Amino acid sequence: MGDKTIVTQVVSGAKSTAGGLRQGVQIRVDIFALVPYILLIALTATLVSLNSRLLSIQVLETKLNAALPLMFMTTAQALVILTGGIDLSIGGVLSLSTAIAATQMGETLDSIVMWSLIILLVGMAAGAINGLIVTYMRVTPFIATLATWSIWAGVALFVLPKEGGTIPRLLKEIVQRGRLLGLPKSVYILVLLIIFWLLIRRTRFGTRIYAVGSNANNAYLSGAPVKRTLIATYSLSGLLASMAGLYRTIQYSAGSPTAGDPFILTSAAAVIMGGMSLAGGRGGVVPSIVGAVILLLINDLIYFLGVSTFYTPMVQGVLLIMVVAIQSLGHYLRRRRAVQ
Amino acid sequence: MNRLLSIFKRNPTIVLAYVLAAAMVIIVSILRPGFGSITHLRSLAIEGAVIGLVALGQTVVIIGGGIDLSIPWMLNSAAILMTVFTRGQDSEMVWAIPLVLLIAAAVGLINGSAIAFLEITPIIMTLAMNAILLGIMAGVASGGLSIGYQHGAPPPIVLGLARNRILGLPAVVWVWGAFIVLASVILSFSGFGRRLYAIGNNPTAALYSGINVRRVRMLTYVLSAVMSAVAGIILAGKFGRAYLGMGEPFLFGSVAAVVVGGASILGGGGHYLGTVAGALILTVLTSLLPIFKLPAAAQNIVYGLVVLVMVYLAGLSRTSEV
Amino acid sequence: MADLELNNISKRFGGVVALDRATFHCTAGEVHGLVGQNGAGKSTLVKILCGVVQCDGGEILLDGKRLNFGSPSDGIASGIGMVFQELSLIPDLTVAANIFFGHEPTGMLWGISRGALRQSTLALFERMGVEPIAPDAEVCDLPLAQRQMVEIAKVLARDPRVIIFDEAPSALGRKEVDWLLEYVRELAAEGRIVIYISHDLREVMQVSDTITVFRNGRNVGVRRVEEASTDELVSLILGRKASRLYSPRETDIGDEVAMEVRDLRGGVRLQGVSFKLRCGEILGIGGLTGQGQDELFRGLFGIQPIHGEVLISGRPVHIGSPGSALRQGIRLVLVPEDRATQGVVAAMSVAQNLSLAVLPRLQRWGLVARDRERVVVEEAIKRLSIVVADVNGPVMRLSGGNQQKVVLGKLLATKPRILMLYDSTRGVDVGTKAEIFQLLRQLVAGKGSSVLFYSTDVDELINMCDRVLVMRLGSIEAELSGEALTEENVIRASMGEAVKEGAYTRPPPVSQEVTSDRSS
Repeated sequence: MGDKTIVTQVVSGAKSTAGGLRQGVQIRVDIFALVPYILLIALTATLVSLNSRLLSIQVLETKLNAALPLMFMTTAQALVILTGGIDLSIGGVLSLSTAIAATQMGETLDSIVMWSLIILLVGMAAGAINGLIVTYMRVTPFIATLATWSIWAGVALFVLPKEGGTIPRLLKEIVQRGRLLGLPKSVYILVLLIIFWLLIRRTRFGTRIYAVGSNANNAYLSGAPVKRTLIATYSLSGLLASMAGLYRTIQYSAGSPTAGDPFILTSAAAVIMGGMSLAGGRGGVVPSIVGAVILLLINDLIYFLGVSTFYTPMVQGVLLIMVVAIQSLGHYLRRRRAVQ
Repeated sequence: MNRLLSIFKRNPTIVLAYVLAAAMVIIVSILRPGFGSITHLRSLAIEGAVIGLVALGQTVVIIGGGIDLSIPWMLNSAAILMTVFTRGQDSEMVWAIPLVLLIAAAVGLINGSAIAFLEITPIIMTLAMNAILLGIMAGVASGGLSIGYQHGAPPPIVLGLARNRILGLPAVVWVWGAFIVLASVILSFSGFGRRLYAIGNNPTAALYSGINVRRVRMLTYVLSAVMSAVAGIILAGKFGRAYLGMGEPFLFGSVAAVVVGGASILGGGGHYLGTVAGALILTVLTSLLPIFKLPAAAQNIVYGLVVLVMVYLAGLSRTSEV
Repeated sequence: MADLELNNISKRFGGVVALDRATFHCTAGEVHGLVGQNGAGKSTLVKILCGVVQCDGGEILLDGKRLNFGSPSDGIASGIGMVFQELSLIPDLTVAANIFFGHEPTGMLWGISRGALRQSTLALFERMGVEPIAPDAEVCDLPLAQRQMVEIAKVLARDPRVIIFDEAPSALGRKEVDWLLEYVRELAAEGRIVIYISHDLREVMQVSDTITVFRNGRNVGVRRVEEASTDELVSLILGRKASRLYSPRETDIGDEVAMEVRDLRGGVRLQGVSFKLRCGEILGIGGLTGQGQDELFRGLFGIQPIHGEVLISGRPVHIGSPGSALRQGIRLVLVPEDRATQGVVAAMSVAQNLSLAVLPRLQRWGLVARDRERVVVEEAIKRLSIVVADVNGPVMRLSGGNQQKVVLGKLLATKPRILMLYDSTRGVDVGTKAEIFQLLRQLVAGKGSSVLFYSTDVDELINMCDRVLVMRLGSIEAELSGEALTEENVIRASMGEAVKEGAYTRPPPVSQEVTSDRSS
């Protein structure tokens, strides 16, 4: 065939791809973000209708006391998941905290304060170790924290082989008994927790947490100290877990070497119920705490419906899968939309 | 034979694992003569067999790039169901065992489909499934089932697996041996095995080569669930009964055996032969504790450290070959 | 003594030399354009300058001071800002958060003040002289053009001493491009050091005062824009080297169409591509990176959703997944250097890789039949002249070129109807490229197969292909064949220059000169 001179040129310069900058970019309305709150309201309404006694102050206070450890654990987990990781070791840290508290604390105020500080430091150090393993040893968070969970659980067993120990009465007095300005102390603790998070979120560190979870490479290119941010996040997680442990010890007036284990799945479940994806970069701690409350309310619902509480994990599991499936669907739809 | 050697060549950490296991046994036998006795080694073999069987499914799933955290309660469920169905009679096993395995396969199918087709993260899906199975078993077992499994014993054949010996080795070990051969053949010689390694190592290349990545991934979870069931049945035989919580140690244990055996947690590498070494190492470590007068707590600590070290080493050797 | 000096910079990535003792000097107060083909080293050079990549050797001097960067944050701290070609934005953060990332304005009470953030963002857009983008919009929701504006704003927010624009306006509209070019000159006039990399030669000449040309990892020429002509620049970019000369192909391809595509659009960059791939043809796709070729290939293989019509042998088909593409007989070979997309399975042996795509054929009772596998493997090795010592050894031990041959061999074993190669020869040595070329010619000889071939190596394009479609800004800029199919024309079309009609290179009497070493 051999054509001699065939040149076809399409003038493309005139094509304007962007069409100018548009002012009105749709602000994303995430319907999915509202789901946890809707669920919360729905569950509360259902429970109250089943058992009106639920709204009494005593019951609410008891419930809040019981919920605080999970709320702290959920916050810890949420922070780590925001960076795109996961922390399975918080269970071990909690157990270890209860073990140390139950065996070492004396009755004097000095002893209480000193050991509390030690416990918090231990938690933070445990978290920092996780961070170091993930960043410098380059081990994926799942396996790293699975291994450290085992280690801390082992240390907990070492310190306190069986459930028991003693808690100084003074500690329980300070933290649990009495009211400040008419409100139980647990309310203040919860408020402090939330304020703590809101403060962090407002800092550059908070922005960096989201950035690392969203796209760690671009965060690096934009000058963020990725390794330092991760280590700090895991340290915070450990710190929060040890706080949860302290509170739980006070609650039960005893320590337990396996106290932390159930919290691992429930903290992750709460975070996911709150709408966060394991990929990180989006979501917040407050919805996660709402997720924790939802899980606890489901427990109550099961109880009030007369179903054996043994089935609780099953219901939680099914719900979790449903939520994740919906999330997956959301991602799929968003990807399809991005074609336009 | 060549294939066998190539597995070891390509995964130096597996060789390390075997060397470690052998070294430990030898050293400890010298320090504590009772350790190396036939009776002791036999009981070690049984322990190793159980972990090894549990970790078989996990190995396949991890090579494919996933993880199965529903093993503990899949195992437990199978043990309970088997005991209840057979009511201690050998004859009932004919229909009971296949039914239990079928149920396990169904569970695995649900896991696998959710992970492969709905693209749900394996960690969450399998943990949730674990909780679901826990809930079902705990709830149902507190009712009528409790009589069935609490007072019932597994049928004699199953009991015999741990107690009887064939040619000097406990029957369980022969069962394990059979599975080792089967798993190795499938992983090294079958089309499925090829596809599995390809998917775990480079899912893109696998996809572009026409491999049905989703289907293979799903199958790994089915396999894992079935193997957990097998392990549960055998474990019930070893203990003489099924009880709630018998699967708990295997959540970490199964992953540990695979990882210590040199497989990459990210997938695409390793082999069941490695997991075998990993299982042996963990078993030996556990048995060392009473000998050195360490409390059971030390087991957790040691397991954790060993996993960290092995994963780190495996990571290093991978980056060095780049 | 120039204000910014990069002296003797060298960098290798594995076996590929990206920069070879390159030098680059800039003066403040003027715009310095940097041009060259893909792989010439421009991007690597500026990445070293801002700390993303560490050089193997050489020095960087800014205002006489020696710089030593370990990471991008060092670069930023030294006052160097870069507008990345692939954008360095964080998808889940807002526009404002991205722009002031790392130096957000703090409020009176505690931490970042959202109000101040918003105000500063709007103020910045105003200073820039453009329509503001909603500060609270999330970056992942913005179209590409707006994201590019945010990236530019982000760099400007730091008031850097050195600004590098790496293909900054690739998706911007006409109006925005005009604004950008003027603004770039303003920035330089303020006393900064401005480096401008672009695919559009006209654009570079419009905005720059000095232009440096890079080729093969070295600086091959610096010209003042008043003294330079497009012709001279093009020849510098091309290089004074002997092309492999050959006569127009003696092919009778015929009119039978293997695949036809109509108005394909998709992703962010594909803006409407139509062409016909004839049976037995090797059709080349050219143009600089990021002009939509990626989306085109991915779309045709079902990895990326695209709109438009695709007809295979006259029948309209819908390719929604790789599975459906494979069923239509389409095979895709990707870039070898990108871990994520390379076609070899690193953990497997050469033989296992070669047989990977035809496993169903090799299976007997579920097990891979060694004898059948051996046949496939030996045939592939022979056909592609793969150099391998031990067929059961790890595939990673082979050279890069041979690894790509393995990928090709694997796919050829499936007897593909349409073989698509996307930059598959990047980093492959010249000899292997020639062999691959022969192989492709053989493949299409029987008219049973056709090849769609994308390469950033222009030389390769004009030698391997019957026709070349040069893509620019998401659609086809020019179709070159016959005598018009020359390197110069491809480069001109890539850069938006008019092509030379009837360009003709006379074949030499006897010998065929081999192309010079291009390590792209």
